[in-house]
Amino acid sequence: MSFLAPWALLLAAAVGVPLVLHLLRRRTGARIDFPAVRYLLRMEREHANEVRLKNLLLMLLRVGIVLAIALAAARPIGPLPGLGHPPTAVAIVIDNSLSSAAAGAGGPLLSRLTASARALLDASNTADRLWLVTMDGAVTGGDAGTLGAALGGLRPLDGAGDAALALRRASAVVRASGVPAQRVVVLTDAQVSSWGAVSTETLGGVPATIVVPEGAPGPNRALTEVVTEPLHWDPRGAVRATMRGADSTTWRVVLEGRTLARGSAKPGAAILAHVQPIARGWASGTVELGPDELRADDVRHFAVHVGEPPAVNLDAGASLFLRGAVDALVQGGRARRGGSVLIASAERARTPGLLFAPADPLKVADANRALERAGIPWRFGARREGPAPLRGAGVEGAVARSWYVLSAVGTPAGVDTLARVGAAPWVVSGDGYVLVASAAEQSATDLPVRAAFVPWLDALLSQRLAQSGAGVIAAVPGALVRVPSRADQLEAPDGSLRAVQSGAQVQLPWTAGVHFWRRAGERIGAVVVNGEASESELARLTGAALADSLGDAAVASGPDGLARATFNVGGSRSLERSFLVLALLLLVAEAIVARRGILKTAAA
Amino acid sequence: MTAPASPAATVRADLMDPGTLAALGRLEVISRWIVDGLLAGLHRSPKKGFSVEFAEHRAYQPGDDLRFMDWKVAARADKWLIKQYEEETNLRATIVLDVSRSMDWKSRPQLLTKLAYGERLVAALSLLLIRQRDSVGLIRFDDQLRSVVPPKSRTVQWKRILTALAEPGAGQGSDAAGALSQAGKLIRRRGMVILVSDLLLDSQEIDDTVHALRAQGHDVTILHLLDPAERTFDMAAGESEFVDPEQGESLAVTPADVRELYGETVKEAIDEWRARFAGAGAFYEPIGTDQPFGVPLRRAFAARQRLY
Repeated sequence: MSFLAPWALLLAAAVGVPLVLHLLRRRTGARIDFPAVRYLLRMEREHANEVRLKNLLLMLLRVGIVLAIALAAARPIGPLPGLGHPPTAVAIVIDNSLSSAAAGAGGPLLSRLTASARALLDASNTADRLWLVTMDGAVTGGDAGTLGAALGGLRPLDGAGDAALALRRASAVVRASGVPAQRVVVLTDAQVSSWGAVSTETLGGVPATIVVPEGAPGPNRALTEVVTEPLHWDPRGAVRATMRGADSTTWRVVLEGRTLARGSAKPGAAILAHVQPIARGWASGTVELGPDELRADDVRHFAVHVGEPPAVNLDAGASLFLRGAVDALVQGGRARRGGSVLIASAERARTPGLLFAPADPLKVADANRALERAGIPWRFGARREGPAPLRGAGVEGAVARSWYVLSAVGTPAGVDTLARVGAAPWVVSGDGYVLVASAAEQSATDLPVRAAFVPWLDALLSQRLAQSGAGVIAAVPGALVRVPSRADQLEAPDGSLRAVQSGAQVQLPWTAGVHFWRRAGERIGAVVVNGEASESELARLTGAALADSLGDAAVASGPDGLARATFNVGGSRSLERSFLVLALLLLVAEAIVARRGILKTAAA
Repeated sequence: MTAPASPAATVRADLMDPGTLAALGRLEVISRWIVDGLLAGLHRSPKKGFSVEFAEHRAYQPGDDLRFMDWKVAARADKWLIKQYEEETNLRATIVLDVSRSMDWKSRPQLLTKLAYGERLVAALSLLLIRQRDSVGLIRFDDQLRSVVPPKSRTVQWKRILTALAEPGAGQGSDAAGALSQAGKLIRRRGMVILVSDLLLDSQEIDDTVHALRAQGHDVTILHLLDPAERTFDMAAGESEFVDPEQGESLAVTPADVRELYGETVKEAIDEWRARFAGAGAFYEPIGTDQPFGVPLRRAFAARQRLY
C-alpha cells in the first residue's frame, strides 16, 4: 500500500487519546456528587466482566476510528481483494475482417472472438467505460448491454479492413475517457497480412491485451484475381481467374445471374472461360469456386461492357505505328472504322478523340487553338527532351524522348491523369477526350513500337472514348475512389442509387460487389469491389510476435485470463473511500455499543 | 404585596410540574393549593365521609357511654336510644421523612431536590389527612431523629408540622429503622406509617422494621423518592468520578458507556424493594421528583382508604 499524502499519517498519533483515557479512567479529575453511587457499585459488581469488555471494545473501536480517518486522510492506494477491479476504460478491437469468417473446430472464428468479447463484458462493472471497435473503424460506446447487442449484429467484412485505423481509434477513445486505468483489448486471428505491419506507435502508449486463437489455420482455397479480356466484349470475351489452393475444385462464371461457363480447375491452374453473353451494356458477374472453410474468398466479382466495338476515325496524317495499331484492332474486332472517335494530332482536335501532341513544334500554337475550340481544358506548354520513363497503366517500361508540358486551363473537373513522365502528366483524360503529351512518333516516345501499345490503345478506346465511358475501377471494401467525369450517380449492388459529384471522392461500402457509375440514367462505368487477395492467406503471427509489435502487450488466454489481464483484478486502487466507510461503520458500532451495551446488542 | 392567584383557578396544582409549582410560593401556600386541587379532582367516596357521622339508633344497654344518648329523642318520645356512627375513631398517621444528606440533591436546576420535594409532599399529605380529621404526626430523621411531632388531628397540628419541616437536618447517615420504630411507638393503636425516603440505606434494617410495624397492625406505605437521573443515569458528563455525598463512596465511569447497565441495575433494585415490601404487606411506590405531587398523594390517599 502506498500513500499520496503520507504526512497525514501523523494524525494516527491521535489514537493515543482513547488509549490514555482508557488507561487513566480510574484517575479522572472530575468529581460529581451522586447519591446513588451504591447503584453504580452494584452495577459494577454484577456486570464487572461486561463493563470491562465493553470498555475494551469501546477503546478498540475508538482507536480504529482514529486510525481509519488517519489512513483515509493519507489517501492510500493499494489492492482491495474481493471488491472487483478499479474503474477501467476498455476498447475492444474485434477483428471482423474477411478472414474471421473462416470456419474451424469451434465454429466460425468470429463467433469465438465474439464469445471472448462477451466474457470480457460480463467481467466488467458499471464503473467501467467500454467501447467496441471493428476493423472498418466503427466505434460503438456504451454499457455492457449495448456492446453485447452490437456484438450480436456483427458480421465479417468482405475485406481486410484497416487494423491500424481500428487501433488508433480504440486508443483515442480510451485516452479521451480520462479514466486512469486504460486498456485496449485486441481479439484477432493475428493474420500476418493484416497485423504484420502494425507498429507500437499505433496505440499511443495505451497498454494492450491480445487474444490470439490457438493452433494453425486450416488450408484455404481462394480466388485471388479475376480479369476480363478484353475490357470491352464485342460481345465475345473471356474471363481469366487465378486460384490459390492445394486441391482441385469446381468453378463457374456468372454474368447478370446467368451461368455462362463452368468447369473444374487443378491446384494452381488459371481459370479461363471464353464467353459470348446475350446481355448488352455494362454488366456485373462473378467467378465462384466450390465452397471451403472460408466461403467469402471463393467468390470474386467483375464488371464488363458488352456491345459493339468502338468506331474510330483515324486522321489521314496519323503515324505509321498508329495506323498499324488501329488496323490490328479492326482486324481483331476490337474496333470499327468510320465512327466518331477521332484519333489524330491535336491541331485537329475535337471530341470524342484520342489526341497526340503535334510532331512539329511549329504547330503547337495551332494545336492549342484547336484544343480551345474543342473545349478541352489543357494546353501544350514548353517542350521537354528525354528520355524519361513513363509511369501509368499500360505504359510501364516505355520512355518519352520529347514531350510538352501539359497545363490545365483553370481547374478542370473530372480529369484523370492516366500516365506521367516524371511528376508531370503525360496522358490526361476528361469528358470525351484523351490527350497525350508526346507525338505518336518513335522519335517522341518508344511506346508505339512496344507490344503494349495495341492493348493500351484498345483500353483507351473501349474505356475512355467508347460509349462505355468511365471504364472499370478495381477497389477494395471501404476504399476511397474518385468519381469519374460525367458520372452523376453511383448504383450499388442492390440497385440503390446515390448522387455523386464528378471529381469528388466517395468511400465505398465494406462489402464486396459491383457498383456502376451512371450518367443521365445510363451506366457509364463500374467499380468492382473485391476483398484483398492477401486476406486469403491465413498464416498467423504468434501471440508473442503480435504482443511485441503492439508494445509488449499482454497475451491472454481464456475468459478468466482475459478479464484478469484487462481489468487488473486485485490491482491497486484508491482506498480513501474504503477507509472513510470503515470509519463510519466503526462510528456506528461505537454508538451502538455505547448506547445499548454489548449484551443487548448481541441479543438483538 | 399581593399573593399570586391560585393556580387551581386555571391548572390544578396537584397536576403541575413540581419545580414550576414550588417557584410560585411558600410551602404552606403551595401545600394548600395541592390539596385543594387534589380534593377537587376526587370522586365522592362511597364511605360518605371520614369524620364522625351519624348512622343509626339502637336501644340503650347498661354500660353504654351516656355521651352518645340521643337526649332529644328521649325528651320527645321517652325512648332511650343510643346514636351509632360509621366512624367512631380517626385515623392516626405518622409520616416519617428522610432528611439525610443524600436527599438534598438534584440532577438539574429546574428540578426540586428530593428533600424539597419530600417536604412539600409531607406538607400536602398532612394537610389532606387533617382535613379528613385524621391525626397526623411527623418524624424527621437522618442519622438521628431530628424532629418528632406526635399525631394530632387539630388544625394547629399542621402548623406544627410545617414548623418541624423547617428545622435542620442533612446528616451523614439515615437511621430509618430507628425512625420507623419511633413512629410505631407514637401510634398506640392501629394506624398508618408513611415513609418518605430515597431508600439509600440499609435494606435489611428497613425490612425488619417494616415487618415489626406490620406485626403491630400498622399499615405501612413507603414513598420512594428518586431523582430522574438516579433512575436513568442521564448525566451530562464525560468520564467522571461520582461520589456519594453521604457515605463518601465513589466510582469513575463514563455515563454514556454504562447508562444502559445502570438503568437495569436500578430497575432490579426497585423490583427488589417492591418484592421485599410486598412480602411484608407494605405498600411501596417509587416516585420521581419530576412527577406532579398529585401522583404520590393519590397513592398515600389510596392507602388510607384501604384502612376504612
